[in-house]
Amino acid sequence: MNENKRGFHIDMKLAQVYIPMQLYGETFEIKQALRYGTLFPELYRPFPPQNTME
Amino acid sequence: MPNQNASMIEKLKEIMAVDFAVWELSLFLDTHPEERKALEDHNKFVRISYQLKSEFESNYGPLRLDCISPFPYKYINSPWPWEIEY
Repeated sequence: MNENKRGFHIDMKLAQVYIPMQLYGETFEIKQALRYGTLFPELYRPFPPQNTME
Repeated sequence: MPNQNASMIEKLKEIMAVDFAVWELSLFLDTHPEERKALEDHNKFVRISYQLKSEFESNYGPLRLDCISPFPYKYINSPWPWEIEY
């Protein structure tokens, strides 16, 4: 594997990302949103995964 | 802390929740400016936010430095953020 001085692998493409467009749907009740850190249920992903959605 | 009581804290929490919703919807609308329902919800919460803040300020004093104050200057009477027990 060739590497340049900065340590990048020059023969390989770096990763490509994709970000699907978010759609507007259900939202959390606003006090719950403040607790969860997001208004959007589809973005609520606590780490480590917990089953705290009521 | 003369101004601190349970109903003041409840009002503050409501304002924080509403402002958080405004913030979240603003971010969503940055990338979805033509999403009508999101804009309606955004505007609804903005109106509620103005309403709650104006009620809060007439009951408990200024929330922010850009509030108009009666004489004598009221801002100094409010508890500091770290003095409020949520």
